Amino acid sequence: MTTPTLPTREPNAILDPTGRTSVLAGAPAPAGTDRPAGQLAPRRPDLTGLRVGLLENTKHNAALLLDEIGALLEAEHGVRVTRRATKQVFAMPVSDEVVTEFAGDCDLVITAVGDCGSCSASAVADGIRFEQAGLPAAVICSEAFVATADAMAELRGAPGYRYARTAHPVAVLSPQQVAERAKHLLPDVVGLLAGERA
Amino acid sequence: MTELLDPDAAQAAIEHCYAQGWSDGLPLVPVSLPLLEQFLATTDRPADEVIGRLPQLDRSVTLETAAINAAMAGCRPEYFPVVLAAWDALMLERATGGGGWQSTSGPAPLIIVNGPVRDEIGLNSTGGVFGPGFRPNATIARAIGLIVRNAFGIHPHVLEQATQGLPGRWQICFGENEADSPWEPLAAEAGLPGGGSAVSATLLRTCEFVDNRHTSSAEQLLADFADTISRTGVLIFRHASAGVVFAPDHAQLLADAGFSRADVRAWLYEHCGRSLADLHRVGKDGIGDNGVRFAREDDGALPVPGDDGDGFQRTLPDGDPRHLLIAVAGARNAGISMVVRMFADWSGRAVPVVGRTAPTTPAQPLEAAR
Repeated sequence: MTTPTLPTREPNAILDPTGRTSVLAGAPAPAGTDRPAGQLAPRRPDLTGLRVGLLENTKHNAALLLDEIGALLEAEHGVRVTRRATKQVFAMPVSDEVVTEFAGDCDLVITAVGDCGSCSASAVADGIRFEQAGLPAAVICSEAFVATADAMAELRGAPGYRYARTAHPVAVLSPQQVAERAKHLLPDVVGLLAGERA
Repeated sequence: MTELLDPDAAQAAIEHCYAQGWSDGLPLVPVSLPLLEQFLATTDRPADEVIGRLPQLDRSVTLETAAINAAMAGCRPEYFPVVLAAWDALMLERATGGGGWQSTSGPAPLIIVNGPVRDEIGLNSTGGVFGPGFRPNATIARAIGLIVRNAFGIHPHVLEQATQGLPGRWQICFGENEADSPWEPLAAEAGLPGGGSAVSATLLRTCEFVDNRHTSSAEQLLADFADTISRTGVLIFRHASAGVVFAPDHAQLLADAGFSRADVRAWLYEHCGRSLADLHRVGKDGIGDNGVRFAREDDGALPVPGDDGDGFQRTLPDGDPRHLLIAVAGARNAGISMVVRMFADWSGRAVPVVGRTAPTTPAQPLEAAR
C-alpha cells in the first residue's frame, strides 16, 4: 500500500504472528492450543500385585534405568512388570496403539528418560496421556530439561504436573551408576504412582 | 514522501512487537492488514491452508500466519513464494516434523534457491553467500525462524533447548551460482529438471570452511574435503551425513578433471572415514543395536560389525545425494568452500517456487543500494 498515512488517521492494527486468531476470518485458528486437561488417574496407595508397564524412549541409558527401577519395584513393592515398549520416535507423542496395549495389560506406567530438548517435553506429554487413559504414570526427566518439561505440561492443560527428576547427565553413566540412580529415584517413582496427585 | 514518515510511531510499533515476545532479538517490521494482503496476493494458495503441523505441541501454521511472520522478518511481498517453497522443502525433512526445532543441537535451516527467481528478487548467489548484506537472503531465512518461534511457539530456554545453538541459525539462504557452476542445478538433481525456480532445504549443525588454493590435483583437493568431513565430533551414530557448498573455483577444478557431482560423491563416500583406533581414542568405537556410538570397555582391538575389516569406518552411509548434498555458490575469486554438517539427512527433493515473484512496487535496486 502506497497511500501515505496521515497522523490524524486511525492507525491499522499490528497483526499477531502466533496464529492464535485468524486475522482474515477473525476466528480462532483451526488447531487450538487449549486442549482440555483430562482427569489424572486415581492412585492406589498399595502397589502390591499391580502390573507395571515400562516405556523407554531410546535415549542412552533409558532402557537400563527402567529395567533397574522395574526390578526394584518388583522386589520391594510386589508389583509385576508386564510390558516393555520402546518409542519409535522419541520426539513424538506415544502412539495410540501403545496406550491401548498398556491400558489393557498394566495398572501403572513408568516412562524415561526425558534427556533432550524434544523428548523431555514428549515424555511429560505421554505421562499426561496415560493418566487420561486411566493409568497412573511416573515420568522421569533429567533436571537439565525441567523448563521444557514444565512448558509441555502447561500446553497439555496440566500445569504443575509432577514428574521425577534425576540429576544431569544421564547418558554418560556406567551401568553401575545407572543402578544407583534407580535406587535414588525409587521413592519418587513410588510416590508418584501411589501418592495423591497434587 | 520523507516528511510523511513518522520515526516515533515506527519506534513505538517496533517496541510493541518486542513487548509481545514476537522477536528473535532484532527489530521486527510491524505488520498491518494492507501489508499482509500484499503478501497473500503473491500466491493462489488459500490463506487458511495449513502448511505445517507439530502434533507433539498441538500447534499448526497457516499460510496467513506464515505471511505475517515473513512480513515481520523484513521480506518484501514478492519473496513470499520463496518463503513458502523453503518452508515446504523444510517440511519434507524428517527432523522438522519430529523434535528438530526443539533439539539441543539447535539446528539451522540451509536454504538453496535455483532458477530465475534469484534475479527477480535479487537473491545473492555469488560473493559472501553465507554472510550478510542482501535483503532476500537475510529475511527469507529469518522468516522461517519467526514462523517456528511464533506459529509453533518454540522459544529459546522453553520448548527450544539448544545447548549452544549455532551462528547463523536463521540466516543461511542463498542462490546456487548456476552461471559459474560446471554442473546441473541442484534442483535438477533433486527432481526438478528444466531450470525453473525451486528451493532445496535441510537442517545443519554447523559449517566449516576448506581453504585450498594449493593444488591443481582433483584427488588432493577432494582429500582435503574428506579430512574435514571425517571429523569424529560429528559422529553420534554410525554415520553422519554432510554437504559441500563448493566455491566455483573448486567445482571448476573438479569438473575439468572429469568429476561429475555423482563422481565427487562417490569419491568422498570411499575416502571419508576414520580408523577404529581414532574412534577408540575419542570414545566412539562401539555401535549399539540402536545405531548410537558408545565407548567400548575393551581396548578397541576387536572389529565392529560392518566395518571394512581393516578397522576403517566410513563417515557417510553411501554416495546418495540425501547424505551428501552438493551445491555451488560464492564468488569466482578463490578456492574457499564450505563443508556443511547435516542435522539428519536431506529429503533430496526440491520444491518449485510458485507465485508472483516480480516486484509489484519498486524495490530498492541492489545496484543503487551499493
